[in-house]
Amino acid sequence: MSAFVLLMAVLAAGGGETPVDFDTQVIPVFTKAGCNTGACHGAAVGRGGFKLSLYGGDPAADYRAIVLELKGRRINLAQPDDSLLLLKSTESLEHGGGYLLPDEGAGANRLRRWIAAGAERVQKRRLVSFQVQPKRRVAERVGSIVRFKATARFNDGAVVDATPWTVFTPEDAAAIKIDPETAVATLLRRGRQIVVARYLDRVVPIEIITPLADTAVDLARQPRNNFIDDHVLDLLATLRLPVSPAASHAAFLRRLTLDLTGRLPSLAAQRAYAENTNSGKRQQLINRLLASEEFNEYWTFQLAKLLRIRSQPEDTQGALAYHRWLKRQVSAATPYDQFAREILLASGDTHKVGPANFYRTVGGARKQAEFASELFMGNRLRCANCHNHPLDRWTQDDYHGLAAMFAKLDRGRVIKINPRGKVTHPRTGAAAIPRIPGGEFLDPNQDGREAFATWLTDRNNPYFAKAIVNRLWKALLGRGLVEPTDDLRDTNPATHPALLAALADDFVEHRYDLRHTLRRITSSATYGRSAQALPQNAADDRYYSHALTRPLPAEVLADAISDLTGVAEQYGDQPLGARAVALFDPKIESESLDILGRCARLESCETADGAAGGLTRKLHLFNGPLLNRRIADSSGRLAKLLTAERTPEEIVDAFYRRALSRPPTSPEREFWNRTVAGAGGQKQQQELLEDFLWSLLTCRAFVTNH
Amino acid sequence: MNPKAAFPERCDGVARRDLLRIGGLTALGLGLGDLFRLQRTVAAENRSPGRKAKAKSCILIWLDGGPSHLETFDLKPDAPAEVRGPLGSIATKLPGVRISECLPKTAAMLDKLAIIRSMTSPLGEHNFGTHYLLTGYKPTPVLEYPTFGSVLAHVRSQSGALPPFIAVPNFRVGGGNMTGGGYLPSQTRPFSVGGDPAKPNFKVRDLDFYKGLDLTRLDRRRRFVNALDAFERAGENSPATDPDLARAFNMITSPQAKSAFHLSEEPQSVRRRYGGKSIGQCCLLARRLVERGVPFVTVNNRGWDTHNDLYTRLKEGFTGAKVGVGLIPSLDLALTGLITDLDERGMLDETLIVVMGEFGRTPKLNTAGGRDHWPRVFSVLLAGGGVPGGQIIGSSDAVGEGPLDRPVTPADLAATIYTLLGIDPKLELHTSDGRPARVAPYEAQALREIVG
Repeated sequence: MSAFVLLMAVLAAGGGETPVDFDTQVIPVFTKAGCNTGACHGAAVGRGGFKLSLYGGDPAADYRAIVLELKGRRINLAQPDDSLLLLKSTESLEHGGGYLLPDEGAGANRLRRWIAAGAERVQKRRLVSFQVQPKRRVAERVGSIVRFKATARFNDGAVVDATPWTVFTPEDAAAIKIDPETAVATLLRRGRQIVVARYLDRVVPIEIITPLADTAVDLARQPRNNFIDDHVLDLLATLRLPVSPAASHAAFLRRLTLDLTGRLPSLAAQRAYAENTNSGKRQQLINRLLASEEFNEYWTFQLAKLLRIRSQPEDTQGALAYHRWLKRQVSAATPYDQFAREILLASGDTHKVGPANFYRTVGGARKQAEFASELFMGNRLRCANCHNHPLDRWTQDDYHGLAAMFAKLDRGRVIKINPRGKVTHPRTGAAAIPRIPGGEFLDPNQDGREAFATWLTDRNNPYFAKAIVNRLWKALLGRGLVEPTDDLRDTNPATHPALLAALADDFVEHRYDLRHTLRRITSSATYGRSAQALPQNAADDRYYSHALTRPLPAEVLADAISDLTGVAEQYGDQPLGARAVALFDPKIESESLDILGRCARLESCETADGAAGGLTRKLHLFNGPLLNRRIADSSGRLAKLLTAERTPEEIVDAFYRRALSRPPTSPEREFWNRTVAGAGGQKQQQELLEDFLWSLLTCRAFVTNH
Repeated sequence: MNPKAAFPERCDGVARRDLLRIGGLTALGLGLGDLFRLQRTVAAENRSPGRKAKAKSCILIWLDGGPSHLETFDLKPDAPAEVRGPLGSIATKLPGVRISECLPKTAAMLDKLAIIRSMTSPLGEHNFGTHYLLTGYKPTPVLEYPTFGSVLAHVRSQSGALPPFIAVPNFRVGGGNMTGGGYLPSQTRPFSVGGDPAKPNFKVRDLDFYKGLDLTRLDRRRRFVNALDAFERAGENSPATDPDLARAFNMITSPQAKSAFHLSEEPQSVRRRYGGKSIGQCCLLARRLVERGVPFVTVNNRGWDTHNDLYTRLKEGFTGAKVGVGLIPSLDLALTGLITDLDERGMLDETLIVVMGEFGRTPKLNTAGGRDHWPRVFSVLLAGGGVPGGQIIGSSDAVGEGPLDRPVTPADLAATIYTLLGIDPKLELHTSDGRPARVAPYEAQALREIVG
């Protein structure tokens, strides 16, 4: 409150002496009152015939709209109080948006002074920096109060208390209440909350944490295998969340093997791991799996989803070449920066040059710009197609500048330079000038991809390394440090910002080696924690107090079903026995994969699963061929075990080990002995075992990684 | 020629992920010690709806992509040609009220219907608009809200073997990735029947036993899975049975539930009344479902995102058609067939019908002979379920650009729909981490013209 009163006093005292600057003093009045939001005059088509740029992103256009449009009726220099601008916002005249500026409030006074002084736009000064205090605060309890103070620094040397003109928006309005007049926040709920502060073209996130429990937790004795554990445990301690113990060796083996190879551990691998008494055996296992051919196959699949490798109508050759190229890169451990360069700079016949298919993945130069930025920068430029991004730094120049670079390509079967290609900048109506996002404009007559690739893969690029390590983290831990993984920006901060930065640095220092970061993460105690939640941390889905249980990707589950039943699935015209994760094209026909929810790769595959069809899938498991055909197949694993005259107990044991990487516990053994063993006839025995196998293939422990 | 290539169903490829920046739930907002108490509270949520329902069930005819108000229920015959568009208007049962020339049967029963012509929203993007219209809430980054059907599925006690929320033929609305259930448990999400009810071989798949299987074995399999899950979760405080598995089992083993999907049981005269297009047969299926006690059915009719050539798409169906078989004539048959059928069966008063999409279309035709997104004013139609018919509520201005009077927000509409269905708009539900959320936004006002 005091800052506000003080400023009012300053305004009142200094009124009339210093002229009001349109760009830095009038615009914030509109932003603060909400006039230039997307729901009001900031909409693409304005509102009620009056259009302002979104959050004042384009002061020149706003000036024109206010002073020149409508024959200047919005401004009355002789009688400032009769200006439409004031009459409407103070609701002296009927205003669809209601009463926004109190008659004698600071906002109305500022507008009045600006009009009285001639309603000019002289561009007196520019904002140099904008800071908010506190940037992060750990509050004690619900009901605690946090006062925000915003400071703006201008290039004329002025340092201004910008608090009254800053808009503070909590991401969750039910968790924090903020008085717009005083910028005092009251905490309503526990947890970690984000507040976004907006002033002129700047947006700053503020992190407020209220511990989740009243008493501290002791995490001092928790193992810290590497820097990851330090970051994770620090936040857990702040939040007062206790951690689950380490996963058993068997659980770790299953989790890691699925994550690195997309397969269940074989019986031999289980035996070898159980018998290994070396204290460094987890590390040995990680290294062995990272060096395996199965790793190459599975991570080719993971990256193929990211690149959205998919056949064109009537043309599978390109996708095939792309997939083969990708497999070679993964096998050869091509550094990720070099990998990105090869993709970005590719040209030629897409049937021969695999990475050139990058330019046939989406339609048109604008979509290419969106795809490239989501893929390699983890950033969404899309909003900046129509207006400057309201929550990020991206402008229309960035968006159309990147599109202009890609417009210089012919995107038929052969990717080649087309010097006349261009995109139209919607604001100027002229051809957009190629531009490095947030950086320099390029010679419109040159292929700008080289400059873009060099900028992107520079070790100081703020997006490139973070975008990929965040995705690797998600693949292993079940949730990105930033979610969604293609929306990295200041106003969507990571749960653990310092950890994300450290992982990115570590990745760059180790020559952009994907395996290095996968090793780093899987070596942490964080990765190795049990999925069994404690009562006190059961609701945690983002701070890693216990491992998250994740559904197996459709293709991995399909392969696991084939492996467990011993009956392969036919995928389109692929040879019988082909693994689902090795398919080069998601259009290869397979009802099973559709039911299990494979990604069609038409759009990003990074959304949460398509579990909308839970009931549909369960109906299919009951009555469809996916499980039924293979359980009862006379050449399947169950039939073979029966032919070999194994006892029901042995059969139950064998399937448990293959499916869950462990033998049945004694209560489980008792249960199955009671229900499936010793049944009457041979046929009845077989049916009981089929039903057991069906339930094993359907149960939660089998269809998830945990 | 591939019809999809000529008329893309959507103009943008933006998916639900744009709506949800954080994902499922907000940051943990509770003392974790309280969690289980709250979870129990949620499980035992006060599900007494609180008021007397006028409607027992609801059929939502969703015109996906955003139907043009200027070609359906809010024509501007006196406006300049670029606003008026290519379709003419006709008189209706209500004196002085005109609607599209493509809706003659609807015009003849306008005394049974209510049209809101002053719907208004700021959200002109498919995903955002769809979220707003189907939940009453503007999308936010922290929480995905549940759609009407999921709320109803959650609040009403389950009866019968059919799922409480069914999408015909599917729930690919607003970009296609919306689950429908929002923050509610996954079993409140809609069940998509799949296929096309207008095809002669239409069948919901996987309802019949796989060869060699029978009830005894399915029952045993279900018990085995429950046992396995219970062993795995020993020591955890979550329910052991998988609700989707239980529901699938109930559907498969109930002949009465399965017969709901057998459109061939309907006499040809009834099938014809709804029209032969997908929307018609979907509406017929919807009637069979509500008849069997399903509280909420969404009929999803796609293709209304008419950025180009709206004359062909909305009226003709194909270029040069003698009798229009486009989207609007097909809607006319389906809607009036449904209302007549429900009326004859004495079910109209207890079945609410809602016809809407995510927004309207631009007042001026564009150069491609289409109209683009326009949320600032559009129309919604309501019928049955206690809705007083013969009403035109609100109006748009002379060119259909903004509301002239009585602006109605999607939040108000949500409160109206909930009230008709006997759910207090102020009813508080809880997210899985215990955060309270009202079924309709705080500021929502049910329309007194409709709820009385």
